Amino acid sequence: MPGLFPRRSNLFGTVVVAASIGAISFASIGLGAVVVGETRRIDLGSKAAPGIDSIKSQYKRPATIPFPKENPYTPEKAALGKKLYFDTRLSVSMAQSCASCHSPGFGWGDGLAVGVGHGMAKLGRHSPTIVNAAWGAIFMWDGRLATLEEQALGPIEAAGEMNMPLNQLMDRLGSISEYKPLFAAAFPSEGMSAKTLAKAIATYERTVVSERAPFDAWIEGNEKAISEEAKRGFAVFNGKAMCSACHEGWNFTNDGFQDIGLPSKDIGRGEFVPGVVKMQHAFKTPGLREIERRSPYMHDGSLDTLEAVVEHYDHGGVDRPSRSDLMKPLGLSAQEKADLVAFMKTLTSNLSPTAVPVLPR
Amino acid sequence: MHKTIAFALVVLTGFSAGALAANQMVYQKGRVFSSENVSIKKGDALTFVNDDSIPHNLMSATKGSEFNLGSQAPGTSTDVTFKEAGDIQVICAIHPRMKMMVKVTD
Repeated sequence: MPGLFPRRSNLFGTVVVAASIGAISFASIGLGAVVVGETRRIDLGSKAAPGIDSIKSQYKRPATIPFPKENPYTPEKAALGKKLYFDTRLSVSMAQSCASCHSPGFGWGDGLAVGVGHGMAKLGRHSPTIVNAAWGAIFMWDGRLATLEEQALGPIEAAGEMNMPLNQLMDRLGSISEYKPLFAAAFPSEGMSAKTLAKAIATYERTVVSERAPFDAWIEGNEKAISEEAKRGFAVFNGKAMCSACHEGWNFTNDGFQDIGLPSKDIGRGEFVPGVVKMQHAFKTPGLREIERRSPYMHDGSLDTLEAVVEHYDHGGVDRPSRSDLMKPLGLSAQEKADLVAFMKTLTSNLSPTAVPVLPR
Repeated sequence: MHKTIAFALVVLTGFSAGALAANQMVYQKGRVFSSENVSIKKGDALTFVNDDSIPHNLMSATKGSEFNLGSQAPGTSTDVTFKEAGDIQVICAIHPRMKMMVKVTD
């Protein structure tokens, strides 16, 4: 093993090393069945920085939408899911639909700092976009739901959001005669249930994909598709600013959880992983497609503009034990900051209008 | 001081046993475990290497075998010894796509 801590020949040195290793081990030790040893430095060798073509190749759009084996795509399912998504009768008040907070008019968010739930009460976090949810690895800002099907039911049932018990919802939908044939067509052997409702909504949500943006044309070789400023911004994004360490790939997220140092009391992922320091105040990294249409920004909607977001990252945020090791002052120049914003604006597509469906009666 | 030395010797003895064994290595480059399934004998250790460009945070929430490496910097490795037989899921707390199973046999 190359690059081990250098061995000390004197006893004092050994004690110092061993004691410090012991402290590390105690801080991260398991519960008896598992023993965590020391952490050693290793030599990874020096690698040449990847060239621009290599970096660009990591941002190619996928050719197809992934649908899970447990819930494959059918047009009938997506059509039913779209009606359910836009149907305000899914909320107990009959005033809110999924689209109320995840609206195509606002990049599939709501344009507000934080969502508004049942009784017009403000929620604790920003309504995330559903764009490109088909590629999601885990759902909600805090990752508490594993699948898009589970996610679809979450806000419907949540007392603070749509406040609709599922059995009551299925009774209500059962009394709307035009829903029955739609469920029968989408789920011939399963019929009408909360489970099939969730599958239909999730299927529709998976069809909501960001359309081609100038950035995509540039990735595919059209050098004139984006400005020189934006190209420089892409280089800063992947280089000095390290944005791509988390906002990686064509959808600009690896779905990882990071505390980016926002001064909020919300512990986010930490609620579900209480023993892990780095998960305190950590939230899921959002994708950046259509980002220009999705202000205000961050899990708490606390930053109004992309310029303010870049300033936050340049500063590094609140320095606390949970803060991601990737967060640190960046020392970006005014030009680099402007270039980053110019680059992010190339992720905006010419979203075609979304027709609101005629709903069953 | 004597207590510290004794403690240090115990710690070092424990580590040297781990260091002598040829541990199986698990790498994390590109936010992917190099093996999704690893089988080891009870008492053996795996060496988790962060050969990626960003920190990881490996842990297990499998009942009875919980552990947490904390933030593991790029260019470091950590040995983890499994002392009880069973199937243990290891995940990265940061990156939800990183999941692997360690099968510990008698």
